[in-house]
Amino acid sequence: MIDNLIFLGPAITACVLLAGILSYFGNHILTRGIIFIDIAIAQIAALGTMVGLLLGFAEESFGVQAISYGFTIVVISFFAIIRTKKFEISQEAIIGVIYCVALGLALLFAEMIPGGSNYITKTISGNILWVTWKQVLFTLIVIGIVGLVHIIWAKKFISISENIRDKKAEENSRFMELIFFVTFGFVIVKAVHIQGIFLVFILLIAPAATVRLFTDNWKLRFIWSWVIGFVGSVVGIYISYQYNVSNGPAIVCLLSTVVFLAAFYKAFTRVIQKKQLASKVLNNTKSI
Amino acid sequence: MTIIEFMLAPLIACILLILINVYFGIHVLKREIIFIDIALAQIAAFGTTIAVVIHHLFHQAQEHGHEHAEDTFLAYILALSFITISALVFSFLKNRKISIPLEAIIGISYAFATTAAVIILDKAAGSDVHIHDMLIGSILWVSWHQVVRLAIIVALVALIHYIFRNRFMQLSDNYHNKDCKMENSFLWDFLFYLTFGIIIIEAVNITGILTVFAFLILPASFSALFSKSWKNRIIIGAILGSVISAFGLYFSWKIDVPVAPLIIIGLGLFLLIGAMYKKLILSRK
Repeated sequence: MIDNLIFLGPAITACVLLAGILSYFGNHILTRGIIFIDIAIAQIAALGTMVGLLLGFAEESFGVQAISYGFTIVVISFFAIIRTKKFEISQEAIIGVIYCVALGLALLFAEMIPGGSNYITKTISGNILWVTWKQVLFTLIVIGIVGLVHIIWAKKFISISENIRDKKAEENSRFMELIFFVTFGFVIVKAVHIQGIFLVFILLIAPAATVRLFTDNWKLRFIWSWVIGFVGSVVGIYISYQYNVSNGPAIVCLLSTVVFLAAFYKAFTRVIQKKQLASKVLNNTKSI
Repeated sequence: MTIIEFMLAPLIACILLILINVYFGIHVLKREIIFIDIALAQIAAFGTTIAVVIHHLFHQAQEHGHEHAEDTFLAYILALSFITISALVFSFLKNRKISIPLEAIIGISYAFATTAAVIILDKAAGSDVHIHDMLIGSILWVSWHQVVRLAIIVALVALIHYIFRNRFMQLSDNYHNKDCKMENSFLWDFLFYLTFGIIIIEAVNITGILTVFAFLILPASFSALFSKSWKNRIIIGAILGSVISAFGLYFSWKIDVPVAPLIIIGLGLFLLIGAMYKKLILSRK
């Protein structure tokens, strides 16, 4: 038992930390309706890595990582600054375009690098059990800095996210948008490195979506989505350990099942309420 | 002469896919469910995965070969039933009923279908998911048989959407409008997702997810810059897509690079130029 705990220690700590920061961002992402942004970011980071390799830097070297982060920040800043309200295209569509073109370029570069196609799918996998205490510490530092920034401007960020579809909302929030997306980009690149793309994706969206079904209150959303994300991760790791399946997919399936159950529950109760309301109205009109 | 012979089937396949995808792309952009095609493709692949596992469980002792046709049929049926189920789910969990966007449900279905396939393959067949193959596909090797099949399916779906065009357009135009209520909207939504899914199954077999995604989003976004009417948008998108595909196929043959990235980058480039042009005109006015 103690051995297991020591073995699982870094993984569970990483889950607590990442579930916290990802579910926080997830609530923003969900409110803005830009669900697939983290997959696009991960793809751009992968593209940056490939560009670094093409320029002759060694794999995992500082040069490659710097180019990968640099690439991500340039694209995400571009995304934060452009205003899509003027066009008929939504932000999510821009994300789709960025993802598509980045993947297209990556496929082209893959032909030029020996074993290049590995880098395209590299971000897909990821195993939380292999995380080390050193990585956990580094993650903690990144999350600490990002968290501080977001605590200071918490209200500002919330109001921007809530009014993102409002065409009359203030136009001078570009600087805040820039900060929001750059910090988000950093967290995503870091998290995808540890957990793989699907686990990060589901930790962003699933807990936030589950809670959003039941409440509008931002504070409750932040707290409960963290709890759901954390409990889901730990139970998922336990299941994967017991039944010998990969832990990432186990957590993803578990958390997505929770969302579907919650959504169906909510949708069905709405339908039933509506029917009851309708029959009441009918009865009233009959009695009149 | 050889290049025309060699490229004719891929080019016709591309044009067919562009025609139907530009139309669906406009719907998808209006509904803001951009990644639905990737999700549906993955869900269909999940069905195929189960077919592989079933094959593995029942035919393990037997020789391969003679039951191949049955297996592809089983795979298609399973893919189609999964598409039908998800079409039901997507129509039922519409934005209006619950407070999260449908795109979130789509994303979660995508993650679920992918990872569930990983778990099942891991447990039952002990092999890997071929995500990479599914991404790219190989339009250059499309056979005339496939093109004819594609043409028939595209024509059928297009016919359904042409006959009931007003219904479908009205539904997508008012998708985020809470006040507008249509009769039987559940049924029309279901039909929309089902026909779209059928196209996706065919398209992914021929060109891979990524090219289909590009055909869906990029020309429709480009046309959104210049027009608001459905008809003009379809025409603009179809012309852009066809021309870029023809160039992509030609250059792929000429300089020996894969065709999918060329078409995607070409479309992306035009979208960028279009957006800049629009921006300049807007700022002058």
